[in-house]
Amino acid sequence: MLLATAGCRSSALFAGPDPLAGRPPLAPGVVTLAAVIAAEQNLISLYRTALAGRSPDGAGRPVLVALLGQHEQHLAQLKAMLVPPPATAQASPRPSPATSGHAGTTAPGTAAPGHVTIARLRAAEHASATRLVQRLATVEPALAQLFASIAASDATHVTALGG
Amino acid sequence: MGAVTAVAALRAALAAEDAAVFGYGVAGAHLTGSRQDAAEQYWTTHNEARDALTAMITRLGAAPVAAQAFYLLPFRVHDTTTAMALAAYLEDGVTRAYLGLVAVSDPRLRDYGALAMQGSAGRAAFWRGGTQAFPGLQASP
Repeated sequence: MLLATAGCRSSALFAGPDPLAGRPPLAPGVVTLAAVIAAEQNLISLYRTALAGRSPDGAGRPVLVALLGQHEQHLAQLKAMLVPPPATAQASPRPSPATSGHAGTTAPGTAAPGHVTIARLRAAEHASATRLVQRLATVEPALAQLFASIAASDATHVTALGG
Repeated sequence: MGAVTAVAALRAALAAEDAAVFGYGVAGAHLTGSRQDAAEQYWTTHNEARDALTAMITRLGAAPVAAQAFYLLPFRVHDTTTAMALAAYLEDGVTRAYLGLVAVSDPRLRDYGALAMQGSAGRAAFWRGGTQAFPGLQASP
């Protein structure tokens, strides 16, 4: 009654987003994190394909296994930073050619067709390190530090792969 | 935790570089051949980084903190193995310091810190004989 007396409409009091307009867009940092997760999944896929094409006692296999393990750690930490809302249609980010930053993208966790050379892994590691540094300015400090640390790890992988 | 200022982060990186310059002098005395060559090269790299950071701090209108005359080493260095372990330890410290620079708001300093991390993480991997998943974020072994 007080509102009516004052000439106010009740809807004027509720200045937040319209609940009937659908979900608001994702924050830029979330979009970036999802893209980085997808890129990491692609790297893991490359390593798995590379290992699948090598004999169990082949030369260089221990190095690839070790680097794959570190990328799996990267992925786990990146995913821990992303908390999807419950009961969403897509709980996990999917890689896409536009956001993954890698040529020859595949669905996460599946092996890419064909043989993956050490040179290709090296190039993928270098590209990953470069792309992560390019993303630093657009994310909050804690995420920037995680990206920088992973980029540094990727850079060391280039050397470990003979770069 | 409050925001990290650029000057504070740069001073922390400078302190790490000063420690590395000192520590490489100790480590290098126990290395020979290609490892000693690497130690000399990295000592020069840290000196150059120290000069660059000093200039950056001065340009921001702040005073660089002078290097200490002596640094307490984490363990006794007496042979090749401990010398290489010290070198890796020093590089880990440099990596952690530059990680702090990545947290500042200036994107140019973030990039500078991130690229410096790649250098120090690479050197640490050389001395350690292996890579790490999260350089700068995990404690030295």
